[in-house]
Amino acid sequence: MQIRLRTTAPRPGEAVALPIRQGAALPEAFAAQIAAARFAGKAGTALALFTPDPVILAGAGAGVTLLDYERAGGAAIAALGEATAVVLDARGLKPAQAAAFAAGAMLRGAAQHVIRSAPVDRPAPRVELLTSDRLGAILPWHAAEASVRGALYARDLVTAPANHLTPATFAARLRALEAHGIQVRVMGPKQLRRRGFGALSAVGREAASGPRLVTLRWKGTLNARPVAFIGKGLCFDTGGISIKPAAGMEEMRADMAGAAACAGAMLALALRRSPAPAVAILAIAENATGGASYRPGDVLRTLSGRTVEVIDTDAEGRLVLADALHKARQHRPQAMIDLATLTGSIVTALGHHRAGVFGNDPPLAAALVAAGAAVGEPLWPMPIGARHREDLNSDIADIRQCAPAGSGAFGGRLLPDASHAAAFLREFAGPLPWAHLDIAGVEMRPEADALGPKGATGFGARLLDRLVAMRFEEER
Amino acid sequence: MADIAFTKPALPRHGALVLLLPEEGGGGALHEAAIAATEGRLPKALEAAGFKGKKGQTATLWAPGGGLSKIVAIGLGKPADITAENLETLGGTAWPLIAAERESLVAAEALAPDFAARIGSGLKLRSYRFDKYRTKEKEEDKPKAERIAIATADPSKAKAAFAPLAAVAEGIFLARDLVSEPPNVLFPVEMADRCKALEKLGVVVEIMGPKEMKKLGFGALLGVAQGSVQEPRMVVMKWMGAPKAAGKTKKPAKQPLCFVGKGVTFDTGGISIKPAGGMEEMKFDMAGAGTVIGLMAALAGRKAKADVIGLVGLVENMPSGNAQRPGDVVTSYSGQTIEVINTDAEGRLVLADVLWYAQEKYDPAFMVDLATLTGAIIVALGHEHAGMFANDEALAEKLEAAGKSTGELVWRMPLGDAYDKQIKSDIADMKNVGGRPGGSITAAQFIQRFVNNKPWVHLDIAGTAWAYKDTALIPKGASAYGVRLLDRLVADNYED
Repeated sequence: MQIRLRTTAPRPGEAVALPIRQGAALPEAFAAQIAAARFAGKAGTALALFTPDPVILAGAGAGVTLLDYERAGGAAIAALGEATAVVLDARGLKPAQAAAFAAGAMLRGAAQHVIRSAPVDRPAPRVELLTSDRLGAILPWHAAEASVRGALYARDLVTAPANHLTPATFAARLRALEAHGIQVRVMGPKQLRRRGFGALSAVGREAASGPRLVTLRWKGTLNARPVAFIGKGLCFDTGGISIKPAAGMEEMRADMAGAAACAGAMLALALRRSPAPAVAILAIAENATGGASYRPGDVLRTLSGRTVEVIDTDAEGRLVLADALHKARQHRPQAMIDLATLTGSIVTALGHHRAGVFGNDPPLAAALVAAGAAVGEPLWPMPIGARHREDLNSDIADIRQCAPAGSGAFGGRLLPDASHAAAFLREFAGPLPWAHLDIAGVEMRPEADALGPKGATGFGARLLDRLVAMRFEEER
Repeated sequence: MADIAFTKPALPRHGALVLLLPEEGGGGALHEAAIAATEGRLPKALEAAGFKGKKGQTATLWAPGGGLSKIVAIGLGKPADITAENLETLGGTAWPLIAAERESLVAAEALAPDFAARIGSGLKLRSYRFDKYRTKEKEEDKPKAERIAIATADPSKAKAAFAPLAAVAEGIFLARDLVSEPPNVLFPVEMADRCKALEKLGVVVEIMGPKEMKKLGFGALLGVAQGSVQEPRMVVMKWMGAPKAAGKTKKPAKQPLCFVGKGVTFDTGGISIKPAGGMEEMKFDMAGAGTVIGLMAALAGRKAKADVIGLVGLVENMPSGNAQRPGDVVTSYSGQTIEVINTDAEGRLVLADVLWYAQEKYDPAFMVDLATLTGAIIVALGHEHAGMFANDEALAEKLEAAGKSTGELVWRMPLGDAYDKQIKSDIADMKNVGGRPGGSITAAQFIQRFVNNKPWVHLDIAGTAWAYKDTALIPKGASAYGVRLLDRLVADNYED
C-alpha cells in the first residue's frame, strides 16, 4: 500500500475523509446528517455520508495527540465501504497530524498477507493524503510511513504459518533487509553449537529446520553505543516434551512476534535513516517434540557459561533469550530491550489490552511506557521481587528456568510465571540498562479496531522505533 | 507470649544475651561488659563463626561464660541500615533464636529508645503462635520465653514508644487468629460475635443479619449466602477518635475513613465448585474482613485521632439445593443488576453491597477495600505485593508510601474501559466475571461499578494474606497483611 501526497482539491465523485475533532466546529454542510447519526467525533469512530459524493467523517477525539489522528485515519479506512479510493483531506491539520492521519489509514488499510488460491478480500484501497503544505508534510510522512512499514513487516512475519516460516526461511527473509542498508549476519545450527549457544541449540535441535541467531545492525550516524533489541523468534512452539494441549496450538505460529517486532523496528529505523545506531539479536528456533528434543531435567550450559536446569520445555522462550541477551551484551549496547511472547501469566495479569514491562532501569522503563502510549501500544510496569528470584534456585545448576508446576499457591496452580521469567532473564542481562516486554496476549488483535485489522498487530515495532526517536537520537 | 519490658542496661547473669553489632565494629556498653564477662573470648568466637555484622547476619555462642546460656549476635549492617524498619525486622530475626530461653536481654542501649521499641515490636510480631488446637505438643517444641528485656538508655521513653506498636501488634494478632481459625469454628455469626470484643476498646459495633440486609436490598451478598446453612452477617465497626469540631455540635469535623473487607468464611466456590486440591486454603477467604477487624482493634488500641469505620460482609459460599446458580441475575443494593456467571466469583458480590452501603450511610472521605479476590493476582504478582487498583492518584501514592515503610508492599495495577467491556452482560447491567485475561483487573472493574464518585482503592490480597513460609515478622500462616499498611496510612496522613 502506497499513500501519495497531493495538493489538488478533490474532484467530484472522489471519496473524501475529513478528520473531526470532538467539540470542534462541525462542517455545516453536514450538520443535519451529523445530528441525525449522533456523530460526536470520538476517536476511532467514523460516519460515512453520501452527499451524493462519498464523505467520511473520521473522529479524531480530542485531537490532542498524534494517536488521535492515527485513530481517525484508521476509522476512515474502516468506514470506506464499497469505495476503492479515498482522499484523506488533511488541509486543516498540521504536518505531523496529517502524517498521523495517513499513518492510521495505512495501519488499518494495508492488505494482510494471506495465502489463498483465489482472492477473497478486496485489494487495499488507493489512498491519497491531501495537504495544503506539501513540503511541510514530506518529512513527517516519511517518518510516519517508515514506522508503519516496520509494523506491517512485523505483521507479515507473524501471520506467516510455521510451514512457510521455518527458522531457515525466517533467516532468509531477514537477509533481504540488506537492501535497506541493514547489515545481516546469520549463524546456523552448527556454528551456534560450536560457539556455545547451549540454550538456543537445545531448544531448536529437534526441528527439521535448526535454530538460527540473526544479528541485524543499523549503523546510524551518531558516534554512540548502539541500542539493542532482542527478540524471541519461535517459528512454532509445540511446547516440546512438555507438550501443549491441542486446543489453540495453531496460535503458536505467532510465537516469533518478539523477533518480528525487533526486525520491524530495524526496518523502520533504516527507512527513515535514523541517526541512532541499533542492533537486533533475534533468537530463532522451532520447539519441536521428538527423539532429539531436550528434556525436563536437562541442565544446559548457556553462552554466558551459566548453567540452567530445565523444568519445563515449554518455557523455551526465556532459554533462547538467555543466549541472545548474552550475545547482545557483546555489542556493548547503551540499553537492551527484549521482546517476547513469553508467558500465559502475563495474559492473566494484564489481559489483551496491555503488555507487561519489567526491567532493572526505571528511566528506560518509563521511556518505554511513554513510547508505547504515543503509538497506541500500551505497557504496564510489572515487578521482579526477591521472592521471584528465590523461586528459581536450583539444586543442581546455577538457576532453574521456571518454578515447577505444583509449587505455587492454592494446590500449586498459581505461579507468577511472568515475573519468574523476568527474574530469570535479568540474570543474563547483567548490569546494563535492560527492559523486558512480555507481549503475549497483544501480538494478535482479536477484532479489528482503528489501528489494524483482525490478526497480527506488529506490536512493538512502532514502539521501539518511537523509543529510539525519543531517547537515542541525540549525542549524549 | 513473652512479656516484653524495657530496662536500664545491666549484664544479666543467666539466660540469653542478644547483641546488635554494626558492621564497622564497636557496640554498646553491654557489648563491652560481655567481652569482659567472657574473658575476651567473645570477639574471637564471633570471628571464628564468620560473623561480620552484616545486616541480618546472626551467630550463636553457647555458654559463653558469665553464667549466660547463650549470646546471640545479630548484625546491624552499615550506619545507613540502622532504620526503624530494619530494626523491627531484626527484632523478628532475634525471636526464633531466643524463643527457647526463659529470660533474655536484648542490648539496645547504644540505639535510640524509639529504635529499642521497634525491636520490641519485631520480637512481638514474630512471636505469634496459633496453637490452640494442638493438644499433644511436646514441651520441648513450645517456646519457653517468659520475659524479654530490652536494654535502653531511657526505658520510660522506649516504653511509651512501644505502647502504640504493641496495640497494633494486638490488632495483627486478632486478625491472624481470625484467619487461622478453621471454617467449622469461624462462620459468619461467630466472626461477627468476635467483633464485639472491640467494644471494650471503645469501638461501636453494629451487627446486621439477613433480615435487615434483605430489607435494605442486599441482593448480591444474600445471593452468595443462600447456599449455606450459616447465616450471613454484616458488621460495622466505628472508631470515632478524631477531635470533635469546636462548638457544641457533636458533628465530626471531617468525613470518616472507610475500610471494607471481604469475609467469606469458607469458599467452596458454590455450584461452580473449586477443585479439591488446595481447597482447605479457602478458610482464609475472609482475610480482608479479618484485616479490617484487626485494623480497627489496632486503631482503637492506640487511640488513633481519626474517625474510621470498618465494614465487613460475612458469608459462607456453599453448594446446595438452595445455592445460587450460574445464570442467576441478582439485584444489588445499588439497584444495578448482576448476571452471576460463576458462583466462585462471589467476593465481588459481597463487596458490591457493602461498599455501596458504606457510601450511602457514611459519606466517607475515601474507601479502601481488601479482599482475597482472585487467583489471577497471584499469577500476576506472586506473594510479595498486593495488587492495588485505584481511582485516585493521591490516595494510591499514600498507600504506596505506607507500603514501603511497613514492608507490606502494593503494586499498582491498571483499570480502563477496555477491561470494563469484558464484564458486559447480555441480560443484566454486568456479569460477575470477565474471563481469564486480566482476571484481577476485570474483578476490580466490577467493584468500581459500585464506587459512587468516591476516592477508592481496592487491594487484592489473595497472594499476601497467607505466608507460605516464615519471614522475619510473620511466622508461617496468616499474615494479617494490611493491618500495618492501613494503620500507617491513617497515622501518616489522617491524624492531626
